[in-house]
Amino acid sequence: MKTKLIGLGILAAVVVAAVVYVAVSRSRTVTEISGYVGGEKIGLLEDEEVQEILRDRYRLTIDYAKAGSIDMITADASGRDFLFPSNQTALELYEQINGKPVKSEIILNTPIVLYTRSAVADALVAEGIASETEGVCYVDMEKLTEAIETGKTWADIGLPQLYGSITVGTTDPTKSNSGNMFAGLLANTLCGGVANESSLPEILPRLKSIFQKLGYMESSSSDLFDQFLKTGMGAKPLIAGYENQLLEFAAEDPATWEQVKEDIVMLYPTPTVWSSHVYIALDEKGTAGIDALLDEDIQRLAWEKHGFRTGVYDTPSAGEHFGVPGLAEEITQVAPMPDADTMDQIIKAL
Amino acid sequence: MKLIKLVKRVTALLLTVSALAVLCAGCGNGGEGSAEADTVLGSGRSVLRIISGSENAELEPVLEKFAQQEKIRIEMTYKGSLDIMRLLGEEEIPYDAVWPASSLWLSVGDEAHRVKHAESVSISPVVFGIRQSLAKELGFVGREVSVRDLLAAIQSGKLRFCMTSATQSNSGASAYIGFLYALLGNPEVITAQNLQSEELKTQMRELLSGVERSSGSSDWLKDMFLEGDYDAMVNYECLMIEANRELEERGEETLYVVYPYDGLSLADSPLGYVDQGDDGQEELFLKLQEYLLSGEIQNEIQRTGRRTGYTGVSEENMDVFRADWGLQPERVLSPIKMPAADVLFECLNLYQTDFKKPSLNVYCLDYSGSMSGKGNEQLVEAMEQLLIQENARQNFLQASQDEVNILIPFSGEVIDTYTAVGNGSQLEALYDRVKDQQVGGGTDMYAAAVRGLELLKEYDLTQYTPAIILLTDGQSGGSFYEFEDAYMELGAEIPVFSIMFGDADETQLEELANYTNARVFDGRENLTEAFRSVKGYN
Repeated sequence: MKTKLIGLGILAAVVVAAVVYVAVSRSRTVTEISGYVGGEKIGLLEDEEVQEILRDRYRLTIDYAKAGSIDMITADASGRDFLFPSNQTALELYEQINGKPVKSEIILNTPIVLYTRSAVADALVAEGIASETEGVCYVDMEKLTEAIETGKTWADIGLPQLYGSITVGTTDPTKSNSGNMFAGLLANTLCGGVANESSLPEILPRLKSIFQKLGYMESSSSDLFDQFLKTGMGAKPLIAGYENQLLEFAAEDPATWEQVKEDIVMLYPTPTVWSSHVYIALDEKGTAGIDALLDEDIQRLAWEKHGFRTGVYDTPSAGEHFGVPGLAEEITQVAPMPDADTMDQIIKAL
Repeated sequence: MKLIKLVKRVTALLLTVSALAVLCAGCGNGGEGSAEADTVLGSGRSVLRIISGSENAELEPVLEKFAQQEKIRIEMTYKGSLDIMRLLGEEEIPYDAVWPASSLWLSVGDEAHRVKHAESVSISPVVFGIRQSLAKELGFVGREVSVRDLLAAIQSGKLRFCMTSATQSNSGASAYIGFLYALLGNPEVITAQNLQSEELKTQMRELLSGVERSSGSSDWLKDMFLEGDYDAMVNYECLMIEANRELEERGEETLYVVYPYDGLSLADSPLGYVDQGDDGQEELFLKLQEYLLSGEIQNEIQRTGRRTGYTGVSEENMDVFRADWGLQPERVLSPIKMPAADVLFECLNLYQTDFKKPSLNVYCLDYSGSMSGKGNEQLVEAMEQLLIQENARQNFLQASQDEVNILIPFSGEVIDTYTAVGNGSQLEALYDRVKDQQVGGGTDMYAAAVRGLELLKEYDLTQYTPAIILLTDGQSGGSFYEFEDAYMELGAEIPVFSIMFGDADETQLEELANYTNARVFDGRENLTEAFRSVKGYN
């Protein structure tokens, strides 16, 4: 009898354990949301610590396909729960086409910067196009644009080893955000303020000829940055990108960064524009991503490991840990992007 | 009652779990292993199927090591970068990863955004390799050379070279774009208007008349170069190093590498994952990528003559990039700008229809009894893709105005011969002949090839790139010696490409290919694909 009871007891215990297991595992069901993401944020989404927080605190996994910020607005979004472009213009465009999204929110910020090699930076400083203040390099957009428009060659500024004339390599402004924002920045520079529809007749032809010179353009910021690093000074002497790209690279691969840091220079355009990474929820399921990505720890990781300035526009904490010389503590010289209608006309013209 | 229900549920759950475990033994097995792969490395249940530019064939030992370590199979299928670009536009992509020569083709082709994790594995510039003595004679040694300098040598008839087809392979396309820049007087970037000039047409034709042999793939161009007796080729720096190693080993004259400063382009060899929603495959891919980008393997890849890493060629590998071969490992590689996509395609169309030396194709097609039914149907379908110009254009295989296409249907003897000149109605009428020809009788491919050689006598072969394209499905009667005699009599190097079909005898076809410095294509899996590839070589 006793053994029978013990047997029953064990059975009961097993059953209880099983019930608890089923109940717990049910409550732990993880929802997968999927969407289009600009290439520069992939490092953040692939970050295991970030994934862990998403899973444990928000029971969420994020699946993504890489797409340019402008491209994703018009791409087939069936089966997608969110879009995560890199600027607010994309949101405005989305609203013009589809009306108000279920929900949207700015998650991350990073300024547009230029990347170059030290030899090129030195030449730009010597030409008076760039200058250094308190260890931070700034590039005078007006002077740079003038050099591009007048067709100055690299050889003209003392770099005969580089073929062709001075250009800033960007992603395709009609497809990808960093190129698009750089076009906005150039438009502002060309009209000496913030470009609007009334300034377009004057600046569009000039803008067009600047971009035409670039020929084929990459459609993703991360590909362009990867090529900048790997193909060397000759292939990409000067490119436009996001500040966070270099910070992320330095944080992820400090050993490689140590080898190349002498040669790579980050230049802040004066003025620059902010790339605000806005999360657009396409359906109810997608809204969960907003709260999750605004989690304090994810925001902290976004800065410390991926170089995104979050919430507020200046650095949440000092950036010494990146070991990136010339990282500006504050970005003070910022102009707003031209509005969506103006940008739309710029994109159409390019 | 409730308890029983729960127990049932738990049991069901456990059963499901164990069933899943069983199923998972077959997971990560990326679909059926395709029989079409060119090379299978390692063995195991899990398969990673990669479609790649042929230049990566040199990296097989590195890939094999990984396959063995992980106990998986890597199936490599080699295709031109442009083929890979087109594949990315298709609904079904039967591969886990793509590895074209340049990211240009990846970003142009991947409109549906299915490729992720793409990263450059190595860099190699497209350069000219010229026999040392000729390079010296032309004054190209130890100084900067422009595309114009090369053009002058070509125009004077002193320099003849081999390059891949610009519409099939990245190295050919890159070199051709470099030529365009030079002939257009080095504009900032090529525009559609630039391309309309008559002068450009005349000059480009003259330039491309210097092309001795062409090919649909860079690695095979190198192999062909090593088999033949040529003076120069356009190819990747890494394949020049490979070729020179072989030439030196044989005690033959090596190539001197020239980097045209105003016409240089880079192949950045991106390896990307084709996302089809299988997490296991993705993980496996990332593991392979991590392996390839690891310090140790990057160094090994650098020793094959590819530029890797962020800091250039390392001190210990300088011996690979030999100065006496003209290599400049420390050179700042400053490439030309590729034109915007629409202009680029216009350039490629013009190459195919207006600029390249016209092809002279002799199609010897098997109409023996064994071809009846399915075989003949497939043949007609395949020829439809080449002869009906609307179809051919999809693959940049359209004929030019001066192209000549000869059809020789054969069985135990030559049935008839038909000739079509140009890209109009004659060519499409040729398709009707292909379609209407009856099958029956034995097989003698040699007789057909001999007739082809006889017909070629009527042409000034310097004005064309001639080739015999032979399809057969069975053991051939007749004799190779008959062919050999006719070949000697003609006294010109005409490649005899063959397409193996049905029960064709591979040794017979290989014999022809080796003798004429050509190659055999396997049409047993997909005949249309084989015809397309073969046409890409001419």
